[in-house]
Amino acid sequence: MIEVENLQKTYHSGFFMRPKKALTDVSFHVPKGVIYGFIGPNGAGKSTTIKLLTGLLRKDSGKILVAGFDPSKVESRKHLGYSPEQPYFYDYLTGRELMRFYGRLNGLDGKPLEDRITWALSLLNADKDWIDRRLRTYSKGMMQRVGIAQAILSKPELLILDEPMSGLDPVGRKDVREAILSLNKEGVTVFYSSHLLSDVETISHRVAMVVGGKIVREGTVDDITSNASAEYHVHVAADIPDADLPQDVKPQGTTPREWVCKNAEARDRFIDFCLKSGLPIERMEHQRPSLEDVLTEEIARAEH
Amino acid sequence: MQNIKNIGIIALNTFRESVRNKVLYNIVFLAIALAFFSILLGEWSVFDRAHVIKSTTLSIMSLSGLLISVFVGISLVQKEIQGRTVLTLLSKPISRAVFIVGKYLGLLGVIAVHLALLTVVYYVILALTGSNPTLSLLSAVYLIFCEMAIVVAVALLFSTFSSPVLSALFTIGIYMAGRLSNELMEQVNFVRRVGEIEGGQGVVLEKVASVIHAVFPGLYRFDISAYVVHSVALPTHYIFWNSLYALGYIGVFLAIASWWFSRRDFV
Repeated sequence: MIEVENLQKTYHSGFFMRPKKALTDVSFHVPKGVIYGFIGPNGAGKSTTIKLLTGLLRKDSGKILVAGFDPSKVESRKHLGYSPEQPYFYDYLTGRELMRFYGRLNGLDGKPLEDRITWALSLLNADKDWIDRRLRTYSKGMMQRVGIAQAILSKPELLILDEPMSGLDPVGRKDVREAILSLNKEGVTVFYSSHLLSDVETISHRVAMVVGGKIVREGTVDDITSNASAEYHVHVAADIPDADLPQDVKPQGTTPREWVCKNAEARDRFIDFCLKSGLPIERMEHQRPSLEDVLTEEIARAEH
Repeated sequence: MQNIKNIGIIALNTFRESVRNKVLYNIVFLAIALAFFSILLGEWSVFDRAHVIKSTTLSIMSLSGLLISVFVGISLVQKEIQGRTVLTLLSKPISRAVFIVGKYLGLLGVIAVHLALLTVVYYVILALTGSNPTLSLLSAVYLIFCEMAIVVAVALLFSTFSSPVLSALFTIGIYMAGRLSNELMEQVNFVRRVGEIEGGQGVVLEKVASVIHAVFPGLYRFDISAYVVHSVALPTHYIFWNSLYALGYIGVFLAIASWWFSRRDFV
């Protein structure tokens, strides 16, 4: 559904048009019918990539195909729905009027349009009284729901959402998560960026991690987390003086008898140390890292 | 077909947005107040009262149209960009040219309603003062509309790549150049005829005037108030040819605006 190869983008800002590379080399492929999470720290290039996919930015070099079309072509946008980060709309319109406006631009009209609006609003749990109020009175969460509802009005094959969960309370996040899953069940490919990594882990089939304008990890959540360095928690039935500890082993919080080994080598060193010192090992836990752990590790690596 | 429909949808939305602009109402009310003030001017003037009222009101129409084009028109595209509404709009299956033409027609609709309103006021004033309200005055109003249609296209063109303040200055500059280019040429020709320009400097001045005359839209063509006020017949097909002239310039300005806008990044 989306093919991106060696994508590069540079912004030019200031009086002297100083260049700043936003994307240095981004390549990924989003198969049809998947939920694809796009994660990374602020300024990593997530929104830039999304705007390149929607034709709002022009690439410097590389290849982008959205539903088989170049994003600069109107044809590509017939297949996608997009909701920007913190969506802004014409605040003198009501939510329903806004939906009609965008629906008409998608070629809908009359009863089919009204039916589609009802469907989209109910999917986002936005079919409430407030939908007939002016948008200037909306909270951030209401705006986010309307933003996603307008993106799905045309029943697109591909839904691109930039931070769809931001500004939502837990109920709103659940509603959006369920809407994404429901649309995906109907065959919609969903490409979205998010900072809420627990949500990404829960619903994404595949994930790409972008740091410093480059894709540093790509695959299923299992692929990404299983390749990352795992922590080992070793419980020992006696106190150990800090000074004697092998490298990369630290106590867990204030618990003096639980020790965290950063990797398998540290674990082996610590077990050796315990055996030689006659310290009884009670149990050992292998803790798989979360996406957040992997992302933090990648950010630290990029900074060094 | 969908493109034409989308232009209409964007134009209607632009019209709705523009009529909420307080600046627009200030200009409209000021124009109506000045139109009524022309009755007093007619009384005070040493010239024929009807002539003064007619020419003053037509000038007010032209000037208020210019103010609307500049102060409402140039902010239209910038508002979409700064308000970030452009992000959602341009992610829909519409080309950037459709967006530009839709915006243009929306504002042109505002100008048309403004001129229609002033025309009604105009005829009411003429009727009240017994100043012979003939239908031929409508041709002058129509050509003011054509002139404003060009000015709106210029304003829109500048607003696609420059700030509102610069766009306003550029648009007013082109309006002045377009209004005065014929007089400038006449002055240059006159000076040349009386032999006051000799040598290189004169040639350069003449060339600059010729370029301004040839490149900038000759907006002086659309001011026929002297003809209609004094009931002088216009040359044959004058309105038809000048309508085509306006269409030509509008087409060029909108094509450049669309081309430029389609190259823009929306961060």
